[in-house]
Amino acid sequence: MADAILNVEHLNKNFGRKQVLKDVSFSVQTGHIVGLVGPNGAGKSTIMKAVLGLFNYSSGNIMIDGEPVSPTSHKAMDKVGALIEYPGIYPFLTGYQHLQLFSKESTSKDQLMDIVDKMKMDSYINRKAKTYSLGMKQKLGIALALVDRPKFVILDEPMNGLDPQANKDLRTIILDLAKQGTTFLISSHILSELEKLVDDLVVIDKGQIVYTESMANLESGGKKLLVLQTSDDTRAKEILTQNGYQLDDGDKLSIIETDSTKMADVIKLLSDNDIEIEDVQHVHSDLETSLLNLLKNDKVKES
Amino acid sequence: MITLVKQETFKLLHKKSTYAVSATLLIIMTIFGVLTRNYPKYWGDPKGMFVEMFTGINWIVLFLIAACSSIIAMEFQYGTIKELLYRKYYRGQILVSKWITMLLYSIYFFALCFVWSMLLKVVLFNDKFKLTDTFQSGYSVIETQWLGIVGSFLTIWLVLSLVLLLANIFKSTAAAISIGIIGYFALSIISNVMFLLMHRWEWLKWNPLNMMNLSQQLVSSSIHKMTLLSTPEMVIGSLVYTAIFMAISYVVFKRRSV
Ligand SMILES: Nc1ncnc2c1ncn2[C@@H]1O[C@H](COP(=O)(O)OP(=O)(O)O)[C@@H](O)[C@H]1O
Ligand SMILES: [Mg+2]
Repeated sequence: MADAILNVEHLNKNFGRKQVLKDVSFSVQTGHIVGLVGPNGAGKSTIMKAVLGLFNYSSGNIMIDGEPVSPTSHKAMDKVGALIEYPGIYPFLTGYQHLQLFSKESTSKDQLMDIVDKMKMDSYINRKAKTYSLGMKQKLGIALALVDRPKFVILDEPMNGLDPQANKDLRTIILDLAKQGTTFLISSHILSELEKLVDDLVVIDKGQIVYTESMANLESGGKKLLVLQTSDDTRAKEILTQNGYQLDDGDKLSIIETDSTKMADVIKLLSDNDIEIEDVQHVHSDLETSLLNLLKNDKVKES
Repeated sequence: MITLVKQETFKLLHKKSTYAVSATLLIIMTIFGVLTRNYPKYWGDPKGMFVEMFTGINWIVLFLIAACSSIIAMEFQYGTIKELLYRKYYRGQILVSKWITMLLYSIYFFALCFVWSMLLKVVLFNDKFKLTDTFQSGYSVIETQWLGIVGSFLTIWLVLSLVLLLANIFKSTAAAISIGIIGYFALSIISNVMFLLMHRWEWLKWNPLNMMNLSQQLVSSSIHKMTLLSTPEMVIGSLVYTAIFMAISYVVFKRRSV
């Protein structure tokens, strides 16, 4: 895989006796925006910290742009910008001083002002950071990750604390940079935040990768359902199953629609059997639901 | 490494407290100078005051203890430690850049203190004594001051290396500052007991608190009878303890999970 900027292979990580990452493998293609999604405590931040060479891992391999990454091998970090968990901010410095402090010497003043402008931080960039709100700090943290225009950007729950407008601005910035060739790994515990943004999705739960897929595939993977309400759901389920219809699990009577499913046939079949139909709905199970199903799935077992 | 030291200095220079502390130091020294000039009966011999830089050395200790604990602990407190570490630099470099910054800061303090004490001498005591007057044990006033400076520089760094280590372990300024200050000033309280114990068990002379008598020993001809160590032994002892504390700091910092 020559065009993967990040390769994580069989990564295991323990905190004391607790195994936090279990055989995690995934890769990030150059130029893609990859979403790392999972519930709180799944191990998203831990993966990102390992990728940034912040701590030792028990076994596995991490490569960024062909260079190995570990606490004693940081060369690749020169190409990486990151925001992990919450932004680290010195209260006695202004936002602009933060940018000066953490940007490379090769980064020009224009570049500093450019990111300030894009993040719409002009009005408070010269104020001391101790006066910043949570959202302002978050924006500064994102600006610090982007200011050097790194090849690879890692953002951990970047939408935290941002208002809807800032959220939208951030998406625009990320999409713009991605168009120019920047690669992103972005985590979130809310899939819908990333839905409009990412090319590929990596889903993690309890320290294990449960799913990796391109967004396009995932979207088309959603099921279409025909949900019925009848005078006798139990008997209706029996009859439909006997007649070759596939039913979805759950209390409700829902038929998984295929190309050959015709509503008229269903109605006729049920009324022939003296079952009254009280309500019919088409339901397209969305991404969020398919993800929740995925996470409920027995694939993920406590070990 | 130079970049990292520059960054640490940038942070230091953008703290208001840095300037407040320097100003405080000069004001306190001036107050002691004026008091000594006007009420020599209560405030003692002007030469003695000049030798200890108008109490400046004691204040430097306090300020440097605070600065050293804060330069480490603030990164944990503000959560900036991650930002520092996930760059192309290594952990060891980050820590050493902080040490160098503090070394420069301590040199700055001593220089400031020295220059100001010379100024006070010229302005307030020009007619009272000469720098070349004999002070004690055959040393002149200025020689005594310099020996004091060298001695306290070494002992202060012994204390600072411990403070840097504690700040690293506890990730908190409060713990490191209190133990550092207690450690430094504990000597005057327990030195009598310590000397007694040392005469009983001689190997106790190698304990780190005994090394803190270095500045006194440099200017006095008799104190080595109490410390049981020769001056070179004490200098080496101080340096070795400093090195040990720094080495432990280094290992702790490298292993710390963030
Ligand atoms: N320094 C640490 N020491 C012990 N356990 C930790 C540490 N950091 C994270 N964990 C544990 O690792 C798991 C994954 O945490 P994290 O990666 O922060 O999750 P996420 O970012 O997906 O919410 C959690 O169960 C958390 O309690
Ligand atoms: Mg997290």
